[in-house]
Amino acid sequence: MTVTKPETAPWLAAFKSRVPLAHEPAALTLRRETSLNRFAELGLPTRRDEDWRYTDLRPLDGKNLTAHLSKISEDIDINSYVLEDSAHRIVLFNGHWVESLSKLDKLPSGVWFGPSSNWLKDFPDLNMEILETSEFEGRQPFTSLNGAFFSDGFVLTLDPGVVLNRPIQILHVGQTGKSGAQHLRNLVRLGSGAQATLVESFSGEGDYWTNAATSIHLAESATLHHVRLQDEALEAIHFASVRATLGVRSKYDTFTLTLGARLSRHDIAASIEGEGAHCALGGAFLLRGQQDATTVTLVDHAAPGCETRELYKGVVDERSHGAFLGKIAVRPDAQKTDAHQLSRNLLLSPRASVDTKPELEIYADDVKCSHGATVGDLDEAALFYLRARGIPEDEARRMLIYAFTAEAIETVGNMALRAYLHGHLERWLAKSGK
Amino acid sequence: MLEIRNLHARIEEDGREILKGIDLSVKAGEVHAIMGPNGSGKSTLASVLAGRPGYEITEGSVTYQDRDLLGLAADERAREGIFLAFQYPVEIPGVNNMYFLRAALNAVRKQRGDKDLDAGQFLKAVRAKLKLLDIGEDLLQRAVNVGFSGGEKKRNEIFQMAMLEPKLAILDETDSGLDIDALRVVSNGVNRLRSPERAIVMITHYQRLLDYIEPDHVHVLSGGKIVLSGDKNLATELEKHGYAMLGDAA
Repeated sequence: MTVTKPETAPWLAAFKSRVPLAHEPAALTLRRETSLNRFAELGLPTRRDEDWRYTDLRPLDGKNLTAHLSKISEDIDINSYVLEDSAHRIVLFNGHWVESLSKLDKLPSGVWFGPSSNWLKDFPDLNMEILETSEFEGRQPFTSLNGAFFSDGFVLTLDPGVVLNRPIQILHVGQTGKSGAQHLRNLVRLGSGAQATLVESFSGEGDYWTNAATSIHLAESATLHHVRLQDEALEAIHFASVRATLGVRSKYDTFTLTLGARLSRHDIAASIEGEGAHCALGGAFLLRGQQDATTVTLVDHAAPGCETRELYKGVVDERSHGAFLGKIAVRPDAQKTDAHQLSRNLLLSPRASVDTKPELEIYADDVKCSHGATVGDLDEAALFYLRARGIPEDEARRMLIYAFTAEAIETVGNMALRAYLHGHLERWLAKSGK
Repeated sequence: MLEIRNLHARIEEDGREILKGIDLSVKAGEVHAIMGPNGSGKSTLASVLAGRPGYEITEGSVTYQDRDLLGLAADERAREGIFLAFQYPVEIPGVNNMYFLRAALNAVRKQRGDKDLDAGQFLKAVRAKLKLLDIGEDLLQRAVNVGFSGGEKKRNEIFQMAMLEPKLAILDETDSGLDIDALRVVSNGVNRLRSPERAIVMITHYQRLLDYIEPDHVHVLSGGKIVLSGDKNLATELEKHGYAMLGDAA
C-alpha cells in the first residue's frame, strides 16, 4: 500500500469527476489510473529535490490547477506563429484540437500525423505506446499528472524510409481568464531511415498552465529535427518534458527558444541506445520581469560511439531567474563517446540571476567529454565600440544580446526555422524597455 | 571646430590623474599630430574626446562646434560627427560587419537629416570605399573585427571613417602594428579623406606616420600636458633627438 501525498488530494478528486475522451479505450483509462497513483505517491516536488532546487514553485500557489481549460473559441489569432514553410499543421487550443485551423490534407503515404485523440480512436490497441515508460514519469511528477489528465496532443509517425522535407508544425495556444490547465500528450515515432522536421510553438493569453509530455522514438538511422518556441503568455506556467530514445545511427537535434511564461520548466531526457547515434540539444532563454525558467537535460549514453552536443544560452534582465541543469551520463559500455556541453549566460541587471550546473557522470574509460559554464555581463568594450560609431545605447545593447543568442540559433540547420526563431527573438528585443 | 581648455581628467577606478591641463585648438581643414612617450596621456585624450566611460573630468572644458562636448554621450558625439579610430578595434562575435556598418551609417545620417540608405544604395557606397582601402568584400560578411589580422582591423577603422564621413576624426595610434605596405594603404585612405570641412587629430608614438600623412601642426604631450607645439619640423626634431629632448622643454 503506497502513501498518498496530501497535496495531491484535489487532483484525485478531480480525476473522479473528469470527462473521459470520446472513444477512450478501456486500457487507457486503466493506464491513467496508474499515472494518477504514481503522481499521488510522488506528490508535488519541492526545492529539497535536487532536480527542483532552482525552481521556485510559488507561482503555482492559489491557481486553480485542477480545472481543465475548455475550448471556448476557434477565433484565435495564430498568424505570428504560423511557419509559412510548413507543409502540415495542427492547432491545439486549450488542449483541444481545432480542426478548422489545422492543415492535414495531402499527407504522404506512410505518414500518420494528427491529434492524439484521433490516434487513440484509430489505434486503440496501440495506446500504451503514448503512455509508456514509468521511468519517464518517475522523474517528473507533472508528467504522471499529465498521463492521468491529458485531453489531446499530437502524434507523428513515419514508416521506414519516409522522408518529409518540409517542416510539420504544431501550435499550442492557451487562453483563459481564470486559470486552468491544458495537459498535452504527444508521440513521435520515426521508422528506420525516416526523416522529419517538427516545429512546436506555445503561446496564449492569461494565467493558464501548460503541461506537455512528449515521447520520441527514433529507429535505426532516423533523423528528427525538433524546434520549440516557448512564447507563452507572461502570466502563464509552462511545463514540458521530452523523452527521446535514439536507435543505431539515429539523429535527434532539438532547439528551444524560451521567451514566455511566468514560470517555465523544460525537461529533456535522451536515451542513446544505438551505436553511432547523434544527439544535439540546444536552446536559449531570454527573461525579464519576474520570469523564472529552468532547463533540465539528461543524456544517457548506453551505446558506444555516440555523440552529444549541447549549447544553451541564457539572458536574464530585471529580476528574472534562469537555470540550466545538464547531465551527461556515460555507461561502462559506451566507449568512444564524444560529448560536449556548454552553458553560457548573460546577466543584464544586478537583480537578475542564473544558476548553471553542468554535470558529467562517466563510467567508460575511452571517451571524449567536456563541459563548461560561463556567467558574465554585457561586454562593455563592445558596447562602447558600437556607440562610438553613432549607434544609440539601446540599439547597441540589443545588437549584442541578439549576437549572443544568435550563436545558439545558428545551430539550427533549417534556414526557414532559423529565420522563424530570429524573428521571434527580434520581437522580444523590440519589447525591451532599455 | 574643437577647443580644449585646461582639461584635467582622471581614471574613475583608481583616481589617477592622467590629463593635467590640456589646451588645444583645432580648426576645420587642419591635421594635427599629437606625439609623446608612452604613458603621456595620448590615448586618454582620445578616449575622453570620444566619451569612453571610465574617466572623470575634474576641470576644464571641451567645446565642439560651439557646443559643450563633455555633456554628450559617446553615441551622440559620434552622430554629431566625431570619429575615433581605435588603437585596439574591438572584436564583436555574432555582429555582422555589414549590418553593424549600416546601423551606424543610418544613425549618423538620421542626425544629419538624411534618409536611411536602402540595401542597394548602401552596397554601392560600400563598394566605392572598399576599393580605397584595398579591403575584400568577404571581410564585410564576417563578424566585426573577428578573425581580422592587425592590419585588416586598422584598415577597417579607416574604411568605417570613410563611410561615416566625420567632421572630426581622431586616429589613435592607427599606425601601430602596421607593416610598411599596410601603412601606405591606410595613410593613403586618410589622405583622401582630408578636406577643408574636416579636421583630423592623429595620435602617434612614431614620426613615421607623419611621412605619409603630413600634419599642419605637431604637439608633444608629456606628463598629461602639451609641452611643445610647432609645425611638421617639430616631428623631425623629435625623431632626431628622441623624447629625451623634452627634458629641456617641460
